[in-house]
Amino acid sequence: MNTIQTFYNENKDKLFGYLLRKSGNYNLAADIMQESFTRYLERYNDLEPTPSLLFTISRNLLYDHGRKKRNETPYEEDRHGIESNQENTYHVREESKRVLRAIQQLDDEEKDILSLAVSSDLSYREIAEMTENSEANIKVKIHRTRLKLKKILNRENL
Amino acid sequence: MKDYLISMFIDNELDLDEKIEFVETIHEDKEFTDEAIELLNQDKLLQDDMVTIMPQIQTPVANVAQPSFFKNFFSPLAGFATAMTVIAAIFLFRPDPIVSNEEPHRFVIYLPDTSQAEIIGSFTGWAPVAMEKLGTSGYWSLNLTLPEGEHRYSYLVDNSMQIADPTVQAREQDDFGGENSIIRITMAI
Repeated sequence: MNTIQTFYNENKDKLFGYLLRKSGNYNLAADIMQESFTRYLERYNDLEPTPSLLFTISRNLLYDHGRKKRNETPYEEDRHGIESNQENTYHVREESKRVLRAIQQLDDEEKDILSLAVSSDLSYREIAEMTENSEANIKVKIHRTRLKLKKILNRENL
Repeated sequence: MKDYLISMFIDNELDLDEKIEFVETIHEDKEFTDEAIELLNQDKLLQDDMVTIMPQIQTPVANVAQPSFFKNFFSPLAGFATAMTVIAAIFLFRPDPIVSNEEPHRFVIYLPDTSQAEIIGSFTGWAPVAMEKLGTSGYWSLNLTLPEGEHRYSYLVDNSMQIADPTVQAREQDDFGGENSIIRITMAI
């Protein structure tokens, strides 16, 4: 049995999907995904594979990055945004790009919970724990965010 | 109205009682049904393969040799090593990938919406060579045994659009306004 490999294979796309949806930034998502697995393996190698822990690590790294960026390099975003990468612009289908852009118009908490719900395969209970919400609260929030995203997409269609 | 049942339905969170309630509401309430379908379609976009752009970055890994005896003897350790190697290989795009010439070099590119993909490079005499479509996966692949040395190439999409290899960072402008990827093939140690 090769549990780490399995864990990696099972979670890499989900984690990358979460990071890409939440940040809208391909390069940043790739960097943080790498860093998250590295930290997870360094510190929690002995535990049973725990996806929610991996996602929590990623979430914190992304949060740290956001804080640092605000303090140090306010203009970095434009250089590394989705639009700046020629190949990705070509490969990510137009529709998906439109959705990624729409997600970026949500507020931080909404981006976070929707990206988790869509990408992670974690249960509402786990997402509620991670984001310090009650389970009853999280289902309403996730649904409201979907409706808000729908509004944004419809507005952009006009 | 418990319209959040729609999200719970999408995210597989309904228990049996809620499933009954969901089906009954769908039956009685046209607006609820329309909203559910709209949100399901939205989720199709949300969950679309924006992530499949990920695997194409991994293609250089195909050329990273993993000594198999090592894996058999120390599988837990090798698992860790393999994971780390894979992670390292994915993210440390070498500007100038060095690969063994003992085995054919595998070129892979993800082009889901294309009807024809070709490779064109110094090793083909700059003549297009057709790539093979891998089923319905959206991937195109071609194995070529390349001589030692530096090679330049790009992909020709639908006979009209030229793109450099997204998995290779070393690039160079050609004389026709396009861009070529550069790889170096060396003998394996």
